[in-house]
Amino acid sequence: MKRLYINSILLGAVIGVLFLGGCKKVLQEQPRSNYTPDFFNTQTGVVGGLTEMYAHLRYIYGQGYYYNTLEVGTDESTYGQSADANFLVMDMTGQGVINATTSRADVIWNTCFTNINTASGVIQSGSKAGVNVALTSEANFFRAFDYFLLVQTFGGVPLDLGAGNLQFNTKPTPTSVRNSVQTVYTQCIFPDLQAAVSNLPMTARLTGTVTKPVAQLFLAKAYLTYAWWLKNPNSIPTFPDSGRTDPAGHDANYYFQQAYTTAVSAIQNPGSYGLQPTFYDLNVGSNDRNNEIMLYADHTQNSQQYNAASLTYSNGGAPDNFSCWMQTWNYPVLTSSSTSGSWKNVNSVQRASVQGYGRPYIRMTPTIGAVTQTFSDKTNDSRYDGTFQTVYRANIKEAGVAGPVYNANYMPVNEGDAVLSFLNDESAGTIDYTNSVYKSSIGAGVLPGRADFVVSPQGISRIVYPGLWKISAYRTDNGTGLGNPNAASTRPWNIAKFSELFFIAAEAAVEGATPTAVTGAYVNDGTAYGLINVLRARAGKWKFSNAANAAQVADHSAAMVAATPPTIDINYLLAERSREYYGEGYRWYDLIRTQQWANLSTTYQICGAAYGNHTPQTFTRTITPNLWLRPIPQGQLDAMQVSAAVKAAYQNPGY
Amino acid sequence: MRKFTLRNAVVSGILMIAVSLFSSSSLFAQDVGEVVNGKVVDSSGNPVSGASILNVKSGKGTSADKDGNFSLRAVKGQTLQISFVGYQSTRVVYKGQTNLAVTLLRENAVLGDVVVIGYGTQRKEAVTGSVASISGNNLREVPTPNISAALQGRLPGVAISQTSSQPGATMQIRIRGTRSLTATNDPLVVLDGLPFPGNIADIDMNNVKSLDVLKDASATAIYGSRGANGVILITTYKGTSGQDPRIALNSYYGVSKVFSPFPMMNGPQFAALRKAAGLYKNQDGSIQLGTDESLNTNTNWQNLLYQTGKVTNEDISVSAGTKRGSYSYGASYYENDGVIPTQSYKRYSLHGAVDQRVGKYLRLGFTTNNNYNYTQGSQVGLYNTLSNSPLASPYKADGSIKYVVAMPLDQQWVSTKKVLDSLKDNYLSQQKGYATYNSVYGELQIPGVPGLAYRVNVGLNLYQINKGSYTAVGVNSNNPTAPSTASSGDSTGTDWTIENLLTYDRSIGKHQFNAMALYSTERTQISSSNISGIGVPADALQYYNIGTAGQEIDVLPANQYYSERGLKSWMGRLMYSYDNRYLISATIRSDGASVLAPGHQWHTYPAVSAGWNVANESFMRGISLINLLKLRVGYGETSNQAVVPYSTLGVLSTNPYNFGASTYATGYYVSQLPNASLSWEYSKTWNYGIDFALLDNRLSGTVEYYITKTNGLLQSVTLPPTSGVNSYVANVGNTQNKGIEFSLDGTILKTNSGWTWDAGVNMSFNRNKITRLNTGVTADQTNWWFVGKPINVIYDYKKIGLWKTSADSASGHENILQPGGNVGEVKVLYTGPTGSNGTPTRAISPDDRQVLNADPNFIGGFNTRVAYKGFDLSAVGIFQSGGILISTVYGPSGYLNLMSGRRNNIQVDYWTPTNINAKYPKPGGQMSGDNPQYASTLGYFSGSYVKVRSITLGYNFAKWLRQFGIPQARLYVTAQNPFVTLSPYHRETGLDPETNSYGDQYQAVTTQYTHRLLVQGFNTPATRSFLVGLNITF
Repeated sequence: MKRLYINSILLGAVIGVLFLGGCKKVLQEQPRSNYTPDFFNTQTGVVGGLTEMYAHLRYIYGQGYYYNTLEVGTDESTYGQSADANFLVMDMTGQGVINATTSRADVIWNTCFTNINTASGVIQSGSKAGVNVALTSEANFFRAFDYFLLVQTFGGVPLDLGAGNLQFNTKPTPTSVRNSVQTVYTQCIFPDLQAAVSNLPMTARLTGTVTKPVAQLFLAKAYLTYAWWLKNPNSIPTFPDSGRTDPAGHDANYYFQQAYTTAVSAIQNPGSYGLQPTFYDLNVGSNDRNNEIMLYADHTQNSQQYNAASLTYSNGGAPDNFSCWMQTWNYPVLTSSSTSGSWKNVNSVQRASVQGYGRPYIRMTPTIGAVTQTFSDKTNDSRYDGTFQTVYRANIKEAGVAGPVYNANYMPVNEGDAVLSFLNDESAGTIDYTNSVYKSSIGAGVLPGRADFVVSPQGISRIVYPGLWKISAYRTDNGTGLGNPNAASTRPWNIAKFSELFFIAAEAAVEGATPTAVTGAYVNDGTAYGLINVLRARAGKWKFSNAANAAQVADHSAAMVAATPPTIDINYLLAERSREYYGEGYRWYDLIRTQQWANLSTTYQICGAAYGNHTPQTFTRTITPNLWLRPIPQGQLDAMQVSAAVKAAYQNPGY
Repeated sequence: MRKFTLRNAVVSGILMIAVSLFSSSSLFAQDVGEVVNGKVVDSSGNPVSGASILNVKSGKGTSADKDGNFSLRAVKGQTLQISFVGYQSTRVVYKGQTNLAVTLLRENAVLGDVVVIGYGTQRKEAVTGSVASISGNNLREVPTPNISAALQGRLPGVAISQTSSQPGATMQIRIRGTRSLTATNDPLVVLDGLPFPGNIADIDMNNVKSLDVLKDASATAIYGSRGANGVILITTYKGTSGQDPRIALNSYYGVSKVFSPFPMMNGPQFAALRKAAGLYKNQDGSIQLGTDESLNTNTNWQNLLYQTGKVTNEDISVSAGTKRGSYSYGASYYENDGVIPTQSYKRYSLHGAVDQRVGKYLRLGFTTNNNYNYTQGSQVGLYNTLSNSPLASPYKADGSIKYVVAMPLDQQWVSTKKVLDSLKDNYLSQQKGYATYNSVYGELQIPGVPGLAYRVNVGLNLYQINKGSYTAVGVNSNNPTAPSTASSGDSTGTDWTIENLLTYDRSIGKHQFNAMALYSTERTQISSSNISGIGVPADALQYYNIGTAGQEIDVLPANQYYSERGLKSWMGRLMYSYDNRYLISATIRSDGASVLAPGHQWHTYPAVSAGWNVANESFMRGISLINLLKLRVGYGETSNQAVVPYSTLGVLSTNPYNFGASTYATGYYVSQLPNASLSWEYSKTWNYGIDFALLDNRLSGTVEYYITKTNGLLQSVTLPPTSGVNSYVANVGNTQNKGIEFSLDGTILKTNSGWTWDAGVNMSFNRNKITRLNTGVTADQTNWWFVGKPINVIYDYKKIGLWKTSADSASGHENILQPGGNVGEVKVLYTGPTGSNGTPTRAISPDDRQVLNADPNFIGGFNTRVAYKGFDLSAVGIFQSGGILISTVYGPSGYLNLMSGRRNNIQVDYWTPTNINAKYPKPGGQMSGDNPQYASTLGYFSGSYVKVRSITLGYNFAKWLRQFGIPQARLYVTAQNPFVTLSPYHRETGLDPETNSYGDQYQAVTTQYTHRLLVQGFNTPATRSFLVGLNITF
């Protein structure tokens, strides 16, 4: 037994020594599943930071609620039947107030500063890590890009995030001081874009990365916007108000000229960019990422992971690309009859992930004016057909219904035949909208001898209206079925196009820049007239008719040019911009830049929100001066640890 | 680390071998001494049949017969140990009594109880800190698979809230309120002496002998940086030395039904709503119907989904002891099939404990608790069922089932029992958990120094979860060709703890000392990985081979995880009592943690407490009314070590991106800034208590007052977007909790004819407030934190009624306050300035939001037991007074109260021109998003309720079985959740008023409320169960 005791003591002692002595590493840390900010100091980290420059675009472009702030409330769109407060307040027709919580411009406020900081980090650590300046200039481009977006939307914004002007911030900073508009332009946007123009390559590093011509486009646009800001023709207030003077002492004309020169320079040396042969080619899904598109927030149907959005279903939040749902009406409600002679409802148009169809949200509606006035020429100008989905066709086969089904006048409709058409004009005569015999379920009308239901432009309502073909989803993985219409769009969202260089130069010329003859592939006299006609001539070229769903090769360029007024004014340019960029989120910025917002958008017409409403009503918007700047989001004010007075002074006037 | 684990394995191996080698070395007993006759009774004088009696010296034992009588041999001066399950063991020295009467006290009896405290046990009478205890038997009065659920309402100061109503879900435990804003508020669980890292559901309820909760810092300071949220000490059954082998069987079986379905509208009600809303109407004014809808249909989708649930529990355990050792092992099985088809929870548990004395000085042993559990069915949500139009039929014209139903605007997948049954293996979500928690110990009495002992505890734990889900083509989608998806994830945690303890325990006259020193080290490693795939080619593969997914395979960086953390501690404690009258305890602990930055890792925690047993004073001797009166006071410091590993280093987040259709890259950005000076949250607590027992111990209770101040709150401080970074983690802000708790237990009735009636009640009043946020900040609106207010508040508009009439609307200036608003809509409080004649000067704005306290006024529980001869009837209940119940079913985030007629609506009393006094607004009025304006104000209800959790009627029929050697047998029936009363929410809705989700779960929109706010959402409905059970011991 005694031996046992000794053993026990020994054992205990051994245990004690073992455990008391061991493992100094217990208090050391090494993360293995995530990166720490130190990673930015490596070459791989810098390149990853650059990828983030592009990835952050998805949180802005394709975000449907931010998109709404750029369209609803302009002459292009109003709210639709299912609009919620996000859309109603933007219409400024007494359906709620735009304020720090209802405004959805928070989307860019909450995205841009994070990316600006990352850009500053890439620029700083890039030089330390010895990264090529051509690479880090992409970060310069995006820092300017974000500041440009912010300064247009909110007025002056802070250049100091906590570590000094344009410095990478690693310090928790619960305060903020706004710089003036001219400081943001002259200390960040211009120098950064000038650096990008100097250093970026002519050819893209990867598909869709920025190049010198892209930087030129944005530099030209920034000059143009800043020139308008200095000019301030309609005395719109700015904030923070430090007078509309340029620190370098230049006037508006100087910057209009800079805009003109920069834009023309890019047109003359476009690198790989250029205009597509037709407007259809520009926008058809199968031709995405074509050479006219200079910048886009990319998406893909090939990888759910890198698409960063489900390929089957979307809840409608960034980074999903869901803006295209907003102005899509509920076309699957359309019914035909399964029998001839007595009406028996059958759905003849199903949701499908096919360009022009997609997921209905009914949040936004085109105004009647957009359809009848902006796009008054629907025959020579291919852009109406290339923008709107005006004919909805039966896709019964995909839904497993054997045709034909019977439609207006009990005429048979087969797979691919038109079930509903939005007419180009009112010339077809009196439309029977009663739905007493032929029940479209959507209050659409009947014309004698036509199998399709019809709605004329004056009959467009908040609930039944042409869809947006141009930006809607397009997939190649539908097989023989309807695809995944409830997913977000897997197409890239186009942010900047080569064509805009012509508009920028033309606008600068209209405002006083001295034209010079343009050489190269797009030779013209360099006047607004000459520049715009390059685009109008292209708009006259037809390749395919969406309305007919058939090839339609025609060249109406001469007629288009003939219709161009010899003297171009700013309103003509704005109408032309709307024809070119309708529904792409340009409109509000175009209108506030040129200060024509209230002039062009105060009244609009649309029919009511119920099926069967075909009488246009006129609405009047109240566009007060404070609305020209969006409110600073409540989240910013809430998170700032400053006095109430400082918060109040931080907010834009009138909110 | 690896080397070290190996070392652990070697050492534990040595220990185990030692145990097995020496366990057979028991001494030969000698048949000597005289025959001692005696009787074992309980405190009521009833015989304790089956009690085991052991002669400690000879090692011989016997057990009491059905009348409690026994006889065995003993020599005068020898000690007999008497023990029985559910009773405290006791020792009696044989002094030649002719009829030795032994009274065994129930384990939950007040006096003489031993309570488990940190690193040891203590007589309850000597405890100076705040400790609340409950026996395993009492816990099991509410038949449930897990401890957290059983603990609800049982102990003062311990608030248990439901966070999910699905089978197998655990509850949230808060001891004396919430003190941390972002770090965990969960208490430390200690299983058989070692910190327990796993899920509390992994501990087999059947094996719990007792549960002790350390509430104040003087009791928890011994756990230092882990003690701030309180400590739950769980002790499992071990064999008692000298006990005869005994088998215990517990079994119950029951059925459960939905307590109350969600009160959705029926067909005519829904049609009326859609008409009243006027948003979906035809050209002729009639209501618009989706292609699957008809006015003649009235489908109750909930009835088509719910099934009768099933619950069953089987448990068997064997325990025995020899003179020098004891063992116990057992197995149990629990299964609960939920009321929603596919939802189920199964658990298999195995546990064992061996304790062996080796030689004179050494004791060795180990305990092991293992379980495997299997949870299914989390993929089936209720939203589609609740929101499906009652005007739509579940069947096609040919009688076959529909999978998708079309309403005017929406097409929705149908989840009925038939649909789910038809899918079976094509639509599943399951989780398998395996966990093993083991401890090995060795204890050495230091020869030559009486009372001095060295002990080493080694804890080795492993826990693993494997989960997977599969959705076949077209399932749960409107699109019949939606591709199949599969995902699979697993996580593994391992940890080890080594504790070296030196204890010194001596009594010298009236002086009693207990001193202890500890050095411990622990390390925890957790890693997890997840993959998912689209386009699995064959349904049979489910999620078991995602490599076959043809369309896409994703391994998202954000879903892979690794962390490791370590803690080193030194600790010392001294407890001293004089004559059982004056008691004092002092503790000091020092912790060093890996999760803090170097240079900031070590902190020291002191605590001291004192007690005075007034009743033991000579001047109290004459007062027989008072059996116990003890005053206690304690002060201690603790902290919350819940700093997430690597928090001091900052975080880069990732964003995937594609350059063109098929060039992929990942972007990085700083999402969290580093903070090297990060530290823990420190809590300082004062605790004052009075324990008393009166009237021959028939009435006993405790009253306590405490105040805890927590400083340096760990926060992910939301930074303004202009700082370029979302947040950083810092120690900013303070909170305070103070409160009063009391518990009272009494025997109301005890007659000679055999009637007894016991009852207990406990109540807790906790007042929580944030006393400081960041410098100069009195409100953090983003996170809903306000200085001077509790952590659990709602920051929202305050509903003050509806705009009942147009006169009301005109005089109340609705046109100014709510531009675009109409009569019949929600009216909220305006707090802005008013012009002359009371006209508001602006519209309702975010400035009008109010801070509404969501915390209850008080909570508590009660239990009662009436017994007569073999029968017993008991009930356990809980109650809450005040507070706000957030019901997202009624608010906007549930999307079930859209009031638009778009999808089915919860049945509410809504405004119409002829029903102007309604509670809910006019359908189809002004909207905010898809909901009525200010709809969030519709989701707040009074949180008050009284709920009887279980009523049990039992009958002990052992007297008929004693002849077969079965000393204990009891049959019982239990009704679980039989009823709720005094609840305004229940009165209006019929629903169980308990929360069933976290604030960001079981809603259509999950961003309305923060995770920490518990809400009632459309989770699995509460159930009411009826059980039949049997306990047998032989």
